[in-house]
Amino acid sequence: MQAVTQPAEATPRARRLNLKVLIAGAAVALPLLAVLVFNLGRDPHSVRSPLVGTKAPAFSLQPVAGGAPIALDSLRGQPVVVNFWATWCVPCAEEHQALVAASRALVDVKFLGIVYEDELPRIERFLAEHPSGYPSLSDPGGRTAIAYGVFGVPETFFIDGSGRIVEKYVGPLDRRTIAALVAKARGMK
Amino acid sequence: MVPTLGRTLILLALLAASTGAVVALTTGARPSSLGWTWSRRLAYAFGALMLLANLTMEYALLSHDFSVSYVAHVGSRSVPTWVSIVSLWSSLEGSILFWGMVLGAYVAIATYRNRGEHPEYMPWAVGIWLACGAFFSFLLAGPAQPFATVPSPPMDGPGPNALLQNHYLMVIHPPFLYAGYVGMTIPFGFACAALLAGRLGHDFLRPLRNSLLVPWIFLTIAIVLGGWWAYEVLGWGGYWAWDPVENASFLPWLTATAALHSALLVERKGVLKGWTVTLIAGTFLLTILGTFMTRSGVFNSVHSFTQSAIGPTILAFLAAALLFSVALFALRIDALESDGALETGVSRDAAFLLQNLLFVLFTFTVLLGTVFPLVMEAMSGKQMSVGRPYFDQMALPVGLALLFVMGVGPALPWGRATREQVRRALLPPLAGACVLALVGFLLGVRNRWTLAALLFGGFTAQVTLSEMLLPVRQRMRTHGEGLVEAFRNAQRRGRRRFGAYVVHAGAVIVIVAIAVSSTMATSKEIQLKEGETATIGDYSLTFVKAEVVAEPHRESTRARMEIVKGGRSLGALFPAMNQYDSQREPVGTPAVRTSLTEDLYLSVHNIDARSGTVGLLALVNPMVAWIWVATAIMALGGLVALLPAMRPSAIPAPATEPTPLVEGAH
Repeated sequence: MQAVTQPAEATPRARRLNLKVLIAGAAVALPLLAVLVFNLGRDPHSVRSPLVGTKAPAFSLQPVAGGAPIALDSLRGQPVVVNFWATWCVPCAEEHQALVAASRALVDVKFLGIVYEDELPRIERFLAEHPSGYPSLSDPGGRTAIAYGVFGVPETFFIDGSGRIVEKYVGPLDRRTIAALVAKARGMK
Repeated sequence: MVPTLGRTLILLALLAASTGAVVALTTGARPSSLGWTWSRRLAYAFGALMLLANLTMEYALLSHDFSVSYVAHVGSRSVPTWVSIVSLWSSLEGSILFWGMVLGAYVAIATYRNRGEHPEYMPWAVGIWLACGAFFSFLLAGPAQPFATVPSPPMDGPGPNALLQNHYLMVIHPPFLYAGYVGMTIPFGFACAALLAGRLGHDFLRPLRNSLLVPWIFLTIAIVLGGWWAYEVLGWGGYWAWDPVENASFLPWLTATAALHSALLVERKGVLKGWTVTLIAGTFLLTILGTFMTRSGVFNSVHSFTQSAIGPTILAFLAAALLFSVALFALRIDALESDGALETGVSRDAAFLLQNLLFVLFTFTVLLGTVFPLVMEAMSGKQMSVGRPYFDQMALPVGLALLFVMGVGPALPWGRATREQVRRALLPPLAGACVLALVGFLLGVRNRWTLAALLFGGFTAQVTLSEMLLPVRQRMRTHGEGLVEAFRNAQRRGRRRFGAYVVHAGAVIVIVAIAVSSTMATSKEIQLKEGETATIGDYSLTFVKAEVVAEPHRESTRARMEIVKGGRSLGALFPAMNQYDSQREPVGTPAVRTSLTEDLYLSVHNIDARSGTVGLLALVNPMVAWIWVATAIMALGGLVALLPAMRPSAIPAPATEPTPLVEGAH
């Protein structure tokens, strides 16, 4: 714009720092960069769940491997990590190792898998190939998934000792994220 | 073996680009013929290495070498060969590799074409280009490594994104987009070279303008191909949703278009040099911002790649490029002296200025709407999105104003015009305006804005046509030539001008078609059982049956819809749901029956072959085909404008402006 507003003055001012250009450029560039940097770690696909901060919906579900149903209410007093997953979901397979490792390392935390829209033979085959060490529960009719507002897997809920949802994470987890979110669930005990 | 070869090629490209950047920038500061020779060689080497790296990847994709991480990620034995070939740009790492090749080709060609010319600018320009090349090589060598070795290669891969396999437009859209995006690096290099050299001479305008026009043509096509793809594939019946990624391609187009026009003022009047290079630099920076938007995962969009680790790296590059540009402009912009002065008052000069301001206003509006959700979240923690209403409301007046200026500007003479001249320039095209608006009204257009678009469109169309044919008419009158001969001769002398008006003609049609198609469409939700018939507009649609078609990589369930219009059978349409092996959710494919007047658009919501039911969205969209046709006209016009300049043997084409519409205005 400078050339428009002051073409006649250009000559004597040549080869000097043009403060107007500098200020105008900085005024556009710096806020833009600041906003982008601020948002860098953000996942636009995560819509904050209204469930966060509220009591986790209760469930009592049969483990895929058989045995007595596991009720969420019976796990009060310790943090619980509820991971919705499926065998057809590639990111679920990606995060599987991290979840298994975390469940072994964090002995005071209860890890639960809930299978989302899947068929029993495929689940059994998957678990035979990738043993998890923590129970995976079947969710007939997807009722629990609906109660938790799951819209795609993997989705993982971090529940504190009082049964309150502290955080919901959408997408594949890594060990650092699990550790950080479990720490959050512990802190609110 | 192949991963090692690929990584080696990329490291060599990084070496060539970074060394070349240093050598070329040094040569710019202290000219030497040896330095210039090596700058060129390294530029060619960079281009060749990128080409080889891409060929290596293609080889890996076609031979299903799953020890290459990218192939393990997107390859599959079950997809057709053409899908394997285009998988190169179907996912993040590959698309950046492809980007590298396009950049390498641009840099090598631009260097070669100007190897013996513009010695005071060229080393600077090559230095800037290769610095960008070094960045993309770095990206490929580290954060977005496509050639990582997979220790225990899988037997088969998942195949590329189903959307890419679903329609051929998604195959040709990305190459055009990259050719448009990446090509903006070349004018950026030229603009920086002008600033670094401290002058922008008349002789340097031609390479500057042409280097802008080439990617502009690609970008124009790419934007509309993207819209066309959305229309043919996404199934909601529209072609543009102001999605962040769509905006990302539109923003640099706006500034590039503005720059092409202000470059004309530089050429004719010697003014607006600093402004023009600012627009060019802005265009480049917006392409990098767009790259960041598409690939960082910060923006939510149907088109974007998934979240990735390369976001921070691209942001660092964007920050570096932005700060470098601001600093360079602040230090050097005053060195670009104006050789003349602008006319004030009602004139073509003023129309150019107005046009430029409108384009920049448009750019800021779209940019603001795109970035605003991020700002809001940063400030208040609330998530929100800026919807279509904001963009539509802003785009409407600006678009109409641009349409108006596109008509008034070329009608007015250069320099100061008298009241009488203005009257004689602007009165006749009112006939075209009234005719088009009347035709629209008789055909049922009642929306005020659409009528305004027709009014302005008619005005501009008449001005454009008469300006396009003015040289021909003048030759026929003054030289007594026949129509064909006069046309040919006028072509030879003013091809650039002619091409520009062809672009304008296309733009008029596009704007009018957008106005009509977005306000005059009818839509209907239909639920049918086999044998039932529904009607929309003049069409009656009979759901004959649901068919299941199995292909190696997908299974589609399609509805056979018999179409009858006004008692005449138009055959069958097959809107479908495709289920891909690699994806759980089915992908709908709408069926479109295109004609020049209107499209019949059918999109499946749900279909069940067993119970024989289908749920459809049916739309009648008028004039949509005109958008695609007119874009082709625009691209063609750009090509015509480019041609004479590309052929040095042709008659040098100084902007030979024939006497404007108003006789004796000069």
